[in-house]
Amino acid sequence: MGKPIQRIMVYIDGTESSVTAAQYAICLAASSGAELIACYIINTRAVEDLLRAKIFLRDEQLEYQHDMEADAERYLKYVGELAAKKGVSIIKQRGKGSVHKEIADAVEEHEVDLLVIGELSRIRSRRDEFYDEAERAMRTVPCSVLIVKDDDRVWQLYESLG
Amino acid sequence: MALIDLVTPEVIKIPLVSKDKPDVLRELVQVLKDAGLIEDYDAVLQAVQDREDKQSTGLEQGIAVPHGKTSAVSTLRFALGIAPEGIDFNSLDGQPTKLFFLLVAAPNQSGPHVEALADVAKLARSTAVCRALINAESAEEVADLLKGD
Repeated sequence: MGKPIQRIMVYIDGTESSVTAAQYAICLAASSGAELIACYIINTRAVEDLLRAKIFLRDEQLEYQHDMEADAERYLKYVGELAAKKGVSIIKQRGKGSVHKEIADAVEEHEVDLLVIGELSRIRSRRDEFYDEAERAMRTVPCSVLIVKDDDRVWQLYESLG
Repeated sequence: MALIDLVTPEVIKIPLVSKDKPDVLRELVQVLKDAGLIEDYDAVLQAVQDREDKQSTGLEQGIAVPHGKTSAVSTLRFALGIAPEGIDFNSLDGQPTKLFFLLVAAPNQSGPHVEALADVAKLARSTAVCRALINAESAEEVADLLKGD
């Protein structure tokens, strides 16, 4: 029987919790020998919705998309540096579109065993309008999902890695 | 950070006391200042005003979504102001605006900013929710409505 976790994907969205998730995923990859993929999805679907809703102007759409692409580069580079510091290799993947759908597609494409995401909102609204993309991905991906909590402990774990 | 994490009674003002558009923007930014969420009031107001100068963020059905980017904030900031009588905000449909959703983010947080704005856009499509917000009697009630409690 093969190892239970052969390929880990960590979802990065520019939040502190997603960076913590990346640190934990690096620790997991280091200890299990699993391959590690960092995935950042540029939420162009939301930008298009905002343009349709007339909250965004056309040049705002372009500006925010450009900013989001720069954020993607910056955060993936940072996560790459975090992994390199601990001698863990990482594949960086960027996508654009509907976030939860792109995550699910990436999980299938890469045959991911474990999706790692940052801590979800502590407040669970019953309003349908407030849904978290990461939470939606958690519900729709075909693989197991690990939600990382306890920033301080994760930081200590990461720091203690050889 | 999800929009719902930002909803607390401290960032909700009902009713707004302002009677015109410039005052509404000042009052909303003041809500953030009074809640201890921003330090540089002028920089935040300027960011919101800069966006407003391009085109009014007053939409249809009595809703406005003033927003801006500024390095004067380190994380996403949200405030909600409600004016049950309506204020002329130069909206797209020419009608008075009653709900003002203010969102300000740091320049390197476009992703969370976009997602929070998208949450507001979805909320604004619900006539029943908007009506309930306008008729609410306190900031606590508004917060409960937004959380679905």
